[in-house]
Amino acid sequence: MRISPDAVVFFQWGPISLNATILFTWCVMALMVLGSWLVTRRLSTETRLSRWQNLIEVLVTGMRDEIRDISGQVPGRYLPFVGTLFLFIGVSNLLSIVPGYEPPTGSLSTTAALAGCVFVAVPLYGIAENGLSYFGQYIKPSVFMLPFNIMGELSRTLALAVRLFGNIMSGTMIVAILLSITPLIFPIVMQAFGLLTGLIQAYIFAILAMVYIAAATRARRQEGQANQQAEKGDLSDG
Amino acid sequence: MLIDWFTVTAQVINFLVLVYLLKRFLYGPIIKAIDKREKRIAFRLEEGQKKKEEAEREVERYLKKNRDLDNRREALLSEIKGEADARRKELVNEARNEVEAIRTNWYEAIQREKDAFLQDLRQRAGKQTCAIARRILRDLANVDLEHHIIRVFIERLRNLGEEELGALNESILKSGRRINLRSTFEIPQEMARQIAEVLQNHGADPVDLQLEISSDVICGIELNVHGRKIAWSLEDYLETLEEALAEALEGKRIESRD
Repeated sequence: MRISPDAVVFFQWGPISLNATILFTWCVMALMVLGSWLVTRRLSTETRLSRWQNLIEVLVTGMRDEIRDISGQVPGRYLPFVGTLFLFIGVSNLLSIVPGYEPPTGSLSTTAALAGCVFVAVPLYGIAENGLSYFGQYIKPSVFMLPFNIMGELSRTLALAVRLFGNIMSGTMIVAILLSITPLIFPIVMQAFGLLTGLIQAYIFAILAMVYIAAATRARRQEGQANQQAEKGDLSDG
Repeated sequence: MLIDWFTVTAQVINFLVLVYLLKRFLYGPIIKAIDKREKRIAFRLEEGQKKKEEAEREVERYLKKNRDLDNRREALLSEIKGEADARRKELVNEARNEVEAIRTNWYEAIQREKDAFLQDLRQRAGKQTCAIARRILRDLANVDLEHHIIRVFIERLRNLGEEELGALNESILKSGRRINLRSTFEIPQEMARQIAEVLQNHGADPVDLQLEISSDVICGIELNVHGRKIAWSLEDYLETLEEALAEALEGKRIESRD
């Protein structure tokens, strides 16, 4: 039994291989970019707007609000990264209802790539926000915590990758197994469940990514607030 | 091995490309459109607020104008009312004065009529009395009344008191002995001579007696000399009668008024 779409190789040239994961990823990308371009080429700034623009605006506004709620910061900087994570995973999972399609998120390579992106993005955002002092939080509350903090970073990245992969892959597997046992009705129910879990997984992945980024960028701010409160306390005591 | 590292690398690149493309084609334009719309809506709201405030100011202005107009109308009304009251009082006063004038005129006319009537009555009564007296005297003594009157007058001249006589003589002297004798009737020469004699007896000098017939003297003779007057006529009796009649008429008028 095939677990990952990576195994379906269409073209192999040395280490370079064009497998189903990459192909379907391109399909998803093309679909998303084309859809975005079609909707945004004639944007209305009036109070009357097309249904598609309305849908896209609801999506984008919802994501911005979510990011603002979680991070407590202006969402502009994080929206492209976190929003794309959510939309890519969501669209990849929702398309699994199309026959013959295999979600790229069902490949551990894809989830690992996405988790890796988050793994890299967290310190990048942290440094962009706080400078090199971002690394200071790895040795808090003491320097002995450094290995544990690093392990925590790695393990949560691994968890991100495996959680998404496991969910999507299992959904696909269950449908495949059910198809061989009870080809009627049950696979459809499971596919419907798959749609739900797919969306939930997209949401979880994006939210967790945002939480990690927010934790990295918020550290310094909290420190600053704590210092201010301490100063106020001194003043009032004095 | 579930992880194909080439695929991982490719997916990372794919993802980054997707991030860029979506940022370029999705988030950027959409956020720009939303911002633009929000700005426009905010502008419209602001515009609406401004218009609302302007409208409120306008309403306030109109209300103030209305209040001013009301106040002005009230003032004008009260002014006109005052003027009307004054005019009414003036007219009432005028009417009252007019009525008073009419009443006074009427009263004066009545008074005049009364006076004329009394005058007429007096004259008629005098004439009538004279006629009656003349007739009675004529009937009784068969003597002309006028002669009798003259005799009475002569008798009166003769019987003048000392004091009166002195004054009369003094007047005769002052008048240059011109004596005016007025009577209702013609005095016969004989009688005139007798009168002159009486006067001469008193004054011892001849007098110039001028006879004059006048209707003013009622049934009698009147002697005028330098402002002094000696007379006998029905005038006195008639005056008494006149007073009595006047009193009677006055009484009647008061009764009629009541």
